[in-house]
Amino acid sequence: MVSVIEYVPGETLLHRLNPVTKLAIAAAIIVATFCAQTYGMLVALLALTFALAAYSHTTSKLVTLLKLLVPIAIVMLLLQCAFVRGGRTVLLWMTTEGLDSAGKACLRLLGVALPLVLMLSVTKLNDLANACVEVLHVPYRYAFTFTTALRFVPVFGQQMNAIMEAQCARGVEYDTKNPIRKLRLMLPLCVPLLVSSVGKTDATALAAEQRGFYLRTRASSFKRYPMHGRDAAVLVACVALVVLGVLL
Amino acid sequence: MTDQNPIVRLDDVSFSYAQAGEKDAPRALDHVSLSVGAGEFVGVIGPSGAGKSTLAAALSGAIPHHYRGELYGAVYVDGKDTCDVTLTDISQVVGSVLQDIDAQMVASVVEDELLFGLENFGVPHDQIEARLSGALETVGIADLRDREIATLSGGQKQKVSIAAILAMRPRVLVLDEPTAALDPASSRLVFDTLCTVREQGITVIVIEQKVALLSRYCDRILVMDHGRIVLSGTPRQVFGHARELRELGVDSPRMARVHNSLVEKGLLPPGEPCLTVSEAESLVEGLVRPHLAGGAQAGPVADAQRDAAFRASSPHAAVPRPHAEGAEPVVRVEGVGFAYPGSGAAVEDLNMAVYPGEVVGVVGQNGAGKTTLTKLLNGLLKPAVGQVLVSGLDTRHVPTSRIAAHCATLFQNPDCQLCKNTVLDEVAFGLELQGVDADEARRRAHKVIERFGLPEGESPFSLSRGQRQMVALASVVVVEPDVVLLDEPTSGLDYRECMTVMRTVSEMADAGCAVIMVCHDMEVVSDFAERVVVMADGRILGRGPTAQEFADEPLMRRAYVEAPQVTRLSQALARDLSPEYAGISQVSGIVDLTGELVSRG
Repeated sequence: MVSVIEYVPGETLLHRLNPVTKLAIAAAIIVATFCAQTYGMLVALLALTFALAAYSHTTSKLVTLLKLLVPIAIVMLLLQCAFVRGGRTVLLWMTTEGLDSAGKACLRLLGVALPLVLMLSVTKLNDLANACVEVLHVPYRYAFTFTTALRFVPVFGQQMNAIMEAQCARGVEYDTKNPIRKLRLMLPLCVPLLVSSVGKTDATALAAEQRGFYLRTRASSFKRYPMHGRDAAVLVACVALVVLGVLL
Repeated sequence: MTDQNPIVRLDDVSFSYAQAGEKDAPRALDHVSLSVGAGEFVGVIGPSGAGKSTLAAALSGAIPHHYRGELYGAVYVDGKDTCDVTLTDISQVVGSVLQDIDAQMVASVVEDELLFGLENFGVPHDQIEARLSGALETVGIADLRDREIATLSGGQKQKVSIAAILAMRPRVLVLDEPTAALDPASSRLVFDTLCTVREQGITVIVIEQKVALLSRYCDRILVMDHGRIVLSGTPRQVFGHARELRELGVDSPRMARVHNSLVEKGLLPPGEPCLTVSEAESLVEGLVRPHLAGGAQAGPVADAQRDAAFRASSPHAAVPRPHAEGAEPVVRVEGVGFAYPGSGAAVEDLNMAVYPGEVVGVVGQNGAGKTTLTKLLNGLLKPAVGQVLVSGLDTRHVPTSRIAAHCATLFQNPDCQLCKNTVLDEVAFGLELQGVDADEARRRAHKVIERFGLPEGESPFSLSRGQRQMVALASVVVVEPDVVLLDEPTSGLDYRECMTVMRTVSEMADAGCAVIMVCHDMEVVSDFAERVVVMADGRILGRGPTAQEFADEPLMRRAYVEAPQVTRLSQALARDLSPEYAGISQVSGIVDLTGELVSRG
């Protein structure tokens, strides 16, 4: 998780777009994915995501995420097949209708998660927050909460890791092969993690206030995020994509 | 104290963290009066729980605006009572750098981190660029401007946090233990930075445990205890009070101790102590030289013998423990290499053997591979090349949780280790994990807790940082391991706690346990370790008896390690005055020999 949402520097058109436009691209792909009814369209949308990733040199991020998502998707596929039944039986409990709807559900899962990660890996969090405040008029405190939460994910990940290592070195069997046993051993550690998280959050609030958090307005940001012609063009394409999704 | 225009003034300030209505709560600050003039460099030192961080919070306005409690007296910042103005207004005068720098960061990129304060305080946009690059240059990290903060080292992060505050051009900078996690070289760089900042007219107030740094950089040192300021003055004035400091549990620089011990022996008249190695050298030279002129010629023949005799008789030159001889090593590291996937960091070709009953120090810069070495030893990392044997177990094939029965680790941050609701459960937990039955585990835990004087029924998380470290140490001691690994055992502890930890560790070694400690504090290493391993860039550059390695100047330079002050003093004296000083690593050794030379003449 630590390396999944990380900014990949670059100079491609995708990097240079307004963060809000990038957000719109991700949203358009997601909406289109939900609306699309055919395999062709779902696969095409995934292909589009990967094409954008290849163009912005972030494919490796998507592949890392895929490794996490594919097992989940397979479990979902098996369950969905058990719940949706109809048509001819193909294999064991799987029916044609079940496979059809389960397959689409899996593709949708991938189609929703991947564009978001793509967007986050070509945008700096601060740019995203500032652009949302400037262009979309989102109140800064919400934008700040959002970016801070995302920023804390790897910090807490590292902390959890340090705790696990320390416990393992004491003799707690985190190196067990049994995932359920491992989970049972991990649960008691949530308390120390929570205690330290609350302390950290409080310190962050203090640090932010001591640097004038409450004085910040929409005009504060040093960097400006104007919408250019290319942003407008991309936005038009996004609308077209959603329409395409609804139709197909 | 008698500054005409103090930038910060505390007027009989008392504070307790108690909620309203609670009576007789302990006071974190107790009738503190203080005034700091513009452009001063003030250091604050004191044992844990003395109220140092509370003082910093009062100075920066976090008290009364962020922390709740009862405040008496008044704090004036730039002439204004901090109760009457908002925290935002105060922070335009006083910039504060928190203890936990990860929590202080608000952005993920260095540039944005600096921009945050500038934008918020409405600095005109045409001045922002100059302020930003100015702050980065002052701190010396202009090249890090576009870096992700998560990829920086501890020292670099500390500098970013200072730059982010500096960019706002505060008139006072308050820092809470800025070097706690840093190696000696990075710590010195941080203090050099603070010195540059002070030259720009900014007042610096820094809380710090490293006395050698404080004595070198500060104009004034405040010593706190139980919420009061008990000593205040120039470093020389403060460190002249050797006895009071010892009673408070505050360390003094080793060179001041040399001076103070010479005074106690009646060799010197009482006065302000020396603080640097060269001062101490000329001091000792002045004492001994007149006596040496006649008798020195008798020396050379007997020198070697006398030297050996001295070392054998002196309790202070670290004597290898006798049972280390002839025994089988309990830890063997043979041709080990390891690289972290996806990053350049790696260790190569590590070889070492540690015998039962030995204390081995591992020294080197941040990033030299010391922590990687400890993780290879306790099995958290498996070697890619070569093998690690701990008590005969090959770490590649035995699960980490089983190695734990033989090799216990005390981590730098005790909070990672603690997970139970009471101290007793916590200490017994390690034994239970090894299959000792619950009653027996509690009986043994009870004995250790009693020895350490810890509160058995309390939650470990409600204890102070130092006590939490002691709980973690107790749970290491109780399992009676063959090997103990210590990762920065003294960081975040005050001097007295540090000595308790190290004495316990020495006792374990006397009982036959092998101790391997990674430590940035060279004084601690030279006092307690009989052998050291010197690391740099993922390799072991040298290993051998502590005094010998520290005396190897080219090696120390290559590893960016500064030898302890006493070693440097004895080297200088051996070179310029009398070869008898060679190899002395303790203050008392220097003082005894000086006394002997003076009386002999």
